[in-house]
Amino acid sequence: MNARFLNLGGTRHLPTTLLVARREVRMRLRSRVFVGGTVVMAVLVVVGIVAASLLAGKSTPVRVGFSGGSQALERSFTATADALGVAVTVSDIADVTAAKAQITAGTLDVLVIGSSTAPTAVVKDAVPSNVESALSLAAEAARLSDAGLSPAAIKSAMSLVPVQLLAPTTPKDTQNLLASLALGILLWIALGQYGNMVAQGVVEEKATRIMEILLATIPPSRLLAGKVIGVGLVGLLQLTIVGAAALVAVHVTNVASIPALGVTAILGDILWFLLGFLFYATAYSAVASLVSRQEEVQSAIAPISIFQIAGYLLMYASLPNASGPLATVCSLLPPFAPILMAVRMASSDVPFWQVGLAAALIVVSIVGLTWLAGRMYTNAAMRIGARVRFMDAFRG
Amino acid sequence: MSTERSLEIRGISKRYGETVAVRDLSFDVNAGELFGFVGRNGAGKTTTMRIVLGVLAPDAGEVRWDGRPLDLAARRRIGYMPEERGLYPKMRLAEQLAYLGELHGMSGSEARASAVRWLDRFGLRDRANDDLQALSLGNQQRVQLAAALVFGPDVLVLDEPFAGLDPVAVDVMAGVLRERADAGVPVIFSSHELELVERICDRVGIIDRGKMVACGTVDELRAGGQERRWIDVPGAPDDWEAGVPGVRLVQIDGSRRLFELDPGVDDQELLREALNTGPVREFERVEPTLGEIFRTVIEEAAA
Repeated sequence: MNARFLNLGGTRHLPTTLLVARREVRMRLRSRVFVGGTVVMAVLVVVGIVAASLLAGKSTPVRVGFSGGSQALERSFTATADALGVAVTVSDIADVTAAKAQITAGTLDVLVIGSSTAPTAVVKDAVPSNVESALSLAAEAARLSDAGLSPAAIKSAMSLVPVQLLAPTTPKDTQNLLASLALGILLWIALGQYGNMVAQGVVEEKATRIMEILLATIPPSRLLAGKVIGVGLVGLLQLTIVGAAALVAVHVTNVASIPALGVTAILGDILWFLLGFLFYATAYSAVASLVSRQEEVQSAIAPISIFQIAGYLLMYASLPNASGPLATVCSLLPPFAPILMAVRMASSDVPFWQVGLAAALIVVSIVGLTWLAGRMYTNAAMRIGARVRFMDAFRG
Repeated sequence: MSTERSLEIRGISKRYGETVAVRDLSFDVNAGELFGFVGRNGAGKTTTMRIVLGVLAPDAGEVRWDGRPLDLAARRRIGYMPEERGLYPKMRLAEQLAYLGELHGMSGSEARASAVRWLDRFGLRDRANDDLQALSLGNQQRVQLAAALVFGPDVLVLDEPFAGLDPVAVDVMAGVLRERADAGVPVIFSSHELELVERICDRVGIIDRGKMVACGTVDELRAGGQERRWIDVPGAPDDWEAGVPGVRLVQIDGSRRLFELDPGVDDQELLREALNTGPVREFERVEPTLGEIFRTVIEEAAA
């Protein structure tokens, strides 16, 4: 068998499960839904990353020009601004009129005129507050120096109040939160889309009556497994394409230090997608096998969809406090773990035991669901027509 | 392929709740035999075929092929055309047939070649890359048969293969079934077209309310039934046959009369009596059609 398996010359015999999976992959890849969906998702992700990098771009240095006597302030201004955490570049200005024109044009941010002890800041509309403080402090120091204080005395007189940050926020954190949210939404869309695809596929085979021909050839469990594997591979391919687009965008825009967009994080997300997909796909296929018409699919899968929608809402509820009790407990529960745990891992450090517990719980649930789905699918697959009751499918 | 192989249905029973669909049903279909399965709607034909295919599990009994209980591997070698036609509407013909061929155990290249061969056979070669849903219903039915044939099945089980076909397609379908049977494949199919069944089948099984009430060649089925004679004696009185015991008048057509003879009655005695009354213009032995046998058998089963 293995020898034939490796023979790619076209005479190979694939196990029936893989034949079913291969058909799913081929048919789906050819569909407009796949091509269009992938393009839309990739574009959305790239646009999001570019937007995030533009937001981060606001921290480019403030350009400050000094003219005349104020030029003596340049060194102390730069040092003070640095202490205040604002990036500045300073330049000497000879032509004040030309500099004012530059400010109007937006190529210079601040023009300082006047003497070093009484400078005036000229700006277009508003002066960045930290720049104003730094300039005031520099002028203050110049006046103290004129009054005869030694540099050491000035330094001690003017030392800034030390500030201790308990939970520092940087622009990166905001970006990371946005990236986590985007990731959560993406996972949510992917899980819904591919779970639905499996459900539709199950019903399609009942609705078109090909089920009877298929079941005369292969056992229901293999048919179901092939379908889930095939659709899962398509989903994986789509997410990989979107993930690759995200990595390229991150590389180009140079916001690579966002943890949610790192290679390991993306691999982790793909793992959560797979677990979530297996969970929802088996659950969806079990309930979808109860009905025989496409119009009935949505109502059949509604009891499962509710969990997915709840997961989406919980994601918003738990993002502001990713380590809080709500987020922690819900991210361990199998129906929500694929999205909530992925989002938590992207936005904060999650203790390893929580990740492990969530993964273990969902794997156990998937095993149980596979058994249940196989049983229901086997019993309901050939009952075409009226909706099969859950307990009838369960008992057989 | 050994010509000794046969499909044996042994005492199968199936009930749905209170309804008994099939009751202790047994029959054989031998290699090279075209077996017609007839019965009223709901008699149990489809249930029987589904049990043969393993799509349904019987409550009792078993199906054997080549002397062994039919297992999954053997079932994959059965070509099946279900009563509810079904293929993927949005899949190309050639691809769809090749897929089914592979599911039944062919290699990819064998399956593709065979798909093209059968499409060619049914005049659909230039539609090979069309989706099934683009075809007319008649052509879809041909593809359905091709789906049952594509992998070179060891056994063919076809539920109402002739339903909805035009006369030309019926001939093509009948030709293909005959050819497969002649190649040593046991072919079992159900139909309500009794004339067609009589014309092409080697043996016929009549099923009624889940029980096989008659099974054999059409001649064998006739053997137990009533003998009938058309006699034309233009000048005879109305009740000229009254002197011959065991003879009943069934039908009058002008001066022609149709008589039914009880078993053991000598038709020559009837002829002599006719000659005694006048000149006999016509004396014809009438074979009951399968339709007539069918009605008789069903009536007897009901009694």
